[in-house]
Amino acid sequence: MKLVLRIGIAVTALGIFVLVFVPGSAVLAANAASIAINTDHATPREVEETTQKALARDYASAWQTMIAALDQNRAGLLGANFIGTANEKLSTTIQEQNKAGLHQHITDQGHTVEAVFYSPEGSAIELHDTAHLQIDVMDGGKLIHTENATVHYVALLTAAENSWKIRVLEAVPGF
Amino acid sequence: MNKAPMEVAVKCGGMMTIALLLMCCFAIATHAAELNVPASVAAGSGLTIPSSGSGSATLYLIGPGTAIKRTVQLGQEIQLSAEELQNAGRYVIALDGNSATFFVTAGSAQSIAFLARPSRVPADTPNVVSGTAFLFDKYQNLVLAPQPVKFELTVNGQTESRSDTTKNGVAFAKLDSSRKEGPAQFVASSGAASVRRVVQVVASDPCSLRMTAARDKNGILARTDPIHDCAGNPVPDGTIVTFTSTEAKGKSTVDARIKQGVAQAELPASNNATISVASGVVVGNEIQWRGGQ
Repeated sequence: MKLVLRIGIAVTALGIFVLVFVPGSAVLAANAASIAINTDHATPREVEETTQKALARDYASAWQTMIAALDQNRAGLLGANFIGTANEKLSTTIQEQNKAGLHQHITDQGHTVEAVFYSPEGSAIELHDTAHLQIDVMDGGKLIHTENATVHYVALLTAAENSWKIRVLEAVPGF
Repeated sequence: MNKAPMEVAVKCGGMMTIALLLMCCFAIATHAAELNVPASVAAGSGLTIPSSGSGSATLYLIGPGTAIKRTVQLGQEIQLSAEELQNAGRYVIALDGNSATFFVTAGSAQSIAFLARPSRVPADTPNVVSGTAFLFDKYQNLVLAPQPVKFELTVNGQTESRSDTTKNGVAFAKLDSSRKEGPAQFVASSGAASVRRVVQVVASDPCSLRMTAARDKNGILARTDPIHDCAGNPVPDGTIVTFTSTEAKGKSTVDARIKQGVAQAELPASNNATISVASGVVVGNEIQWRGGQ
């Protein structure tokens, strides 16, 4: 039977995770964001429990990395979690931000993630993520845009040596 | 009871509420008027935004692969180029204290990311080859609108095909391997986009494994007939074939590799032994050896 993996992520100021398991679910407790991953409707292949856990861990890690990279304008952070098109586009955003003196401060307020496709051979998985974000766009120290937004993302992850990496991350109007 | 003060209070409250609503509407209208952007635009199509007021202001555009800050003249149209809006996703635009968001959506499919597995498959096996196709536009945006995809697996002129429609940007198919071995051309296509992979179809497990045995100078020489799978494909050289000789004093086993289509092994001399042959899960004939008979 597939499990619904509920993950609450708390990131301390030092970025330390606290991992707590409860029956039928796994919880990463923290203070910044929470992710719930539902793999019940993934097709054509069923998501194995170990894959589910690894996926949740790596996807949460990718978000933390992206938030830090966009805030600090450090494209070098992305390599651990992003490859291909996603890495290129995020890196370009960061380079352009750096040139213009801009940065984005994103506060992650939670995700609801559903796996919608898991390839037959097990090397690619597609997620639909409804993210709740506080987004502040800054020009140096000046706030030029702020919003509390619910943003829908389509994420395509592929299996790397020992982790899942995001190859495509696109915000869409809806699912 | 004197109701007048309460009625006045209610009326004042109502008027204040209406005034607040009007102020909100005015504020929204002002905001929309100054940054009138569509909800979504197609990737690479550019955008023209009207602006009001006078003088110069700073325009900000933040989106996937984009972070722009530039000075624009208020009261004139603001041009966002096709290059600035080529990546699908959510954009924030800010101008003169106002901001808005809009989406850029993928264009038509121009390329395919094709996962074909496995690279080698046994012949004549159902649903053994899988293909997964992700469609992208010319800017490498995932195309989420449903698109037809055709999967074709061709070996020696024989083609098996499946059609699927993308859902969430992806389509997949499982196909049977051909009866004949050889390099199979596995093609995924959608519109003008096409990608080819090669899947090597190899002989499946041996079929009707048969051997003969004869005395030789050191013992018994067991030798198979040419080994084929059930579709008639020769089983590849190097495949292990196990010969076993069982007699009263014990058992002797020799693992031999197929060489030039056959496998052979030298077994210890014996006057009374049962010789058997197997390869993988396939068991061949047995020979009752009686002193060279």
